[in-house]
Amino acid sequence: MAVGALGALLAFGILILIGSRGVYNLDYAYSIVNGLGLGLRLTLTFVAVVVPVGFLVGFLMGWARTSRSWFVRGLGTTYVEFFRSMPPIVLIFFFALIASLVFRRYLFVENPIGFALGMGVLALALHSGSYQAEIIRAGILSVPTGQTEAAEAIGLGRGQTMLFVTLPQAFRVSLPALGNEFASVIKDTSLINILGALELSLWGQLLTVDALSVDFNLVFIIWVEIALLYFAITFTVTRGIRALENRFKVPGLEAAEL
Amino acid sequence: MIRVRGVHKYFGNLHVLRGVDLDVAKAEVLCIVGPSGSGKSTLLRCINLLIQPDKGDIFLEDVRVTAPEVRPEWVRQHVGMVFQSFNLFAHLNALKNVMIGLTRVKKMPKEEARRKAVFELERVGLADKLDAFPAQLSGGQQQRVAIARSLAMGPKVMLFDEPTSALDPEFIREVLDVMSKLADEGMTMIVVTHEMGFAKGVADAVAFFDEGRILEAGSPSDIFERPGHERTKAFVSKILG
Repeated sequence: MAVGALGALLAFGILILIGSRGVYNLDYAYSIVNGLGLGLRLTLTFVAVVVPVGFLVGFLMGWARTSRSWFVRGLGTTYVEFFRSMPPIVLIFFFALIASLVFRRYLFVENPIGFALGMGVLALALHSGSYQAEIIRAGILSVPTGQTEAAEAIGLGRGQTMLFVTLPQAFRVSLPALGNEFASVIKDTSLINILGALELSLWGQLLTVDALSVDFNLVFIIWVEIALLYFAITFTVTRGIRALENRFKVPGLEAAEL
Repeated sequence: MIRVRGVHKYFGNLHVLRGVDLDVAKAEVLCIVGPSGSGKSTLLRCINLLIQPDKGDIFLEDVRVTAPEVRPEWVRQHVGMVFQSFNLFAHLNALKNVMIGLTRVKKMPKEEARRKAVFELERVGLADKLDAFPAQLSGGQQQRVAIARSLAMGPKVMLFDEPTSALDPEFIREVLDVMSKLADEGMTMIVVTHEMGFAKGVADAVAFFDEGRILEAGSPSDIFERPGHERTKAFVSKILG
């Protein structure tokens, strides 16, 4: 782990060196920290909503896809196929548009931008959820049916079997892939800026416009800082997942090393 | 103890069980032998209602377990089952594999369940493997944990579905020994097996099963030495070489 972090920092160091061509404007680097901090806060808010909501929906829908009932299974499949086939940017836009329309025309909210933004965030969560649903489904299907049969043979009910036998194993098997999806969707929160949300990457774009009129080298400073911030968020989350993997490690059920 | 009457089972167009009648008395050991694919496993699964028979009745003592008001979970607590592929829960160690039925089905307090599980694992000779996970155990040890898991529920009958077929030869003995001991202690058992030595030595009765029904049944010596049917003869001579 330490090696991974060091390697990444080294890579950033090289980026900074190339970007600044030996001249790193520290004063400028400090001056943009406040603005980027505001952007970071919004990005973190998006992450804090998108990751748990996406997981919850993905978990339920993935479970639904393994259901015996054709109706529940169909519900899960429809959800996955729809949200997985749409570019997230289209979903975000669509959800926000529909929200503005509904809130303005039918609920008489004068300025529904907050609701539109919320729906945009939800759209991204649902998009991520469709990927997570497939991960969960694969995890559930990876548990041999013999174990379900054995669980029922000692008198466990269907719900108990799911809760105490299937899900604990599906969870362990799914963790690495879930971590991967979390890492991916964290960076996709930047797409929400098409709604005008001043998150990290939109701050970057605004600062870039200003910087270009002063000194081209400043642009590198902006984006290196942004890259570091995204890295910090993603790294924290994926390390957390890795810690969970280790915490629940069981011989014979180790997730493949990533 | 167990009575099976006229049981039929279809899988789609496949007529797997074609009218099976069976009687097993208390403390009796019945071995079922016969070619693979003849429906032996299906019959065992019908007895503990893992599979619902399409026709016919099954009685456990005086309870008609095929009656719609009988809960399958109730039946399965009284009819233990051991599978060919062990089917231990991979995320639980040996102790917890045995405890889970006690705490979750019988709602036994944890400490009591632990004591009972340790006792059952000692019974199958695995007192030193309480903390081992299934992947850390040999096939023979896994199967013995599976037997302990079943025994812990205090079943009236134990069903064994080819319990040694998936084992490497060197581990077969230890599983058969546990089963013989169980038979000596008076457990009622129905064993689907290809282990003719076990059938001869331990079984009170042997049933020859073919094409979804019991072709003939009798004492081990009847079936192995004086088989009545041509098919039984052919099968026995093949198995005994």
